[in-house]
Amino acid sequence: MSRFLIVTATVLGLTLGAAGSAQAAEPKQVYDFYCAQCHGIDGKGKGINVTKDFATDPRNLTSSSEMEKRSDEDLRGVIKDGGPSISKSALMPHWGSTLTTDEVEGLVKYIRKLCDCKGK
Amino acid sequence: MRLLAVTVSIGAALLIMTATPSYAAGGDAIFKKSCTGCHYTDGPAKEKTIADQLAKKGPELWYAGSKFQKDWLAAWLQNPKPIRPLKYNSLTEKNAADHPKLSAGDAAAITDFLMGLKSSEVKAGAIKPAESAQARNIYAKKAPCGGCHESSVNGKATGGKSGPSLAGASKRLNPDWIYAYLANIKAFKPVRDMPDFASVLNKKDQMSLSAYVATFE
Repeated sequence: MSRFLIVTATVLGLTLGAAGSAQAAEPKQVYDFYCAQCHGIDGKGKGINVTKDFATDPRNLTSSSEMEKRSDEDLRGVIKDGGPSISKSALMPHWGSTLTTDEVEGLVKYIRKLCDCKGK
Repeated sequence: MRLLAVTVSIGAALLIMTATPSYAAGGDAIFKKSCTGCHYTDGPAKEKTIADQLAKKGPELWYAGSKFQKDWLAAWLQNPKPIRPLKYNSLTEKNAADHPKLSAGDAAAITDFLMGLKSSEVKAGAIKPAESAQARNIYAKKAPCGGCHESSVNGKATGGKSGPSLAGASKRLNPDWIYAYLANIKAFKPVRDMPDFASVLNKKDQMSLSAYVATFE
């Protein structure tokens, strides 16, 4: 009986684990899909939308001197609530009603890799 | 016995006729043969992950009859011009402008088929095209649509390139669909690179913005 239970629990666990990982997108995929259109695939702030009509310069996410001034909580906040939440341009929109908490956390870590820096 | 068989056959034929939506003859068949490699028409939305969205070669069309204007669609299928500056799902490749060009007959039949594909999210008659100072401010500043979408300013394409162009929206899009899309974007595109603006714009903002975009030449 106990062996049956263990096998059942293992199978169920593997199934749920597989389903969970299928839903959770990799941070790079999330970044490339949502953020790269303005911040660029390389993170330097020169995405395809940044033409002469673009009214602001998207943050260069690879600039450690700029990015280390921001805490991880600052990054979470601006991703979720957009530029106006820190008195910056609304061209950085709010993604809080689009991204999951895990996706936002993944992005914060990915951005820290791009800048190779820690938050203040 | 023969009478019974005939009766059953006629009954079955009547059932098929009443169960089949009123597409123009052949439009759905032409679509299935030529278009399903890039577009799907059996809604609701199927995409659950970014990978699902990236696997698509073209936009979903299961609500095409609510989204497009019929005359525009029939004309565009015969002479397709890029709506997106970039290739679908790409941030690096230009739109190759290689959408197949259809004959007038096929375009009319497919248009009839697509215009039969409606979404219950779209309520008819809610939005009348109109400009307003409020909407211009939303478009330019509060929810800067031009960051990702081009529009025509004095005949020149102006704005971002990742989204579909809004130039010519007055002829292409159903104003009621624009509003429904802003109000409940997830119902149409659960996975897309456009933010959900329903939590930033109130209903009045959404309505005036939709009415404004619906004036775009």
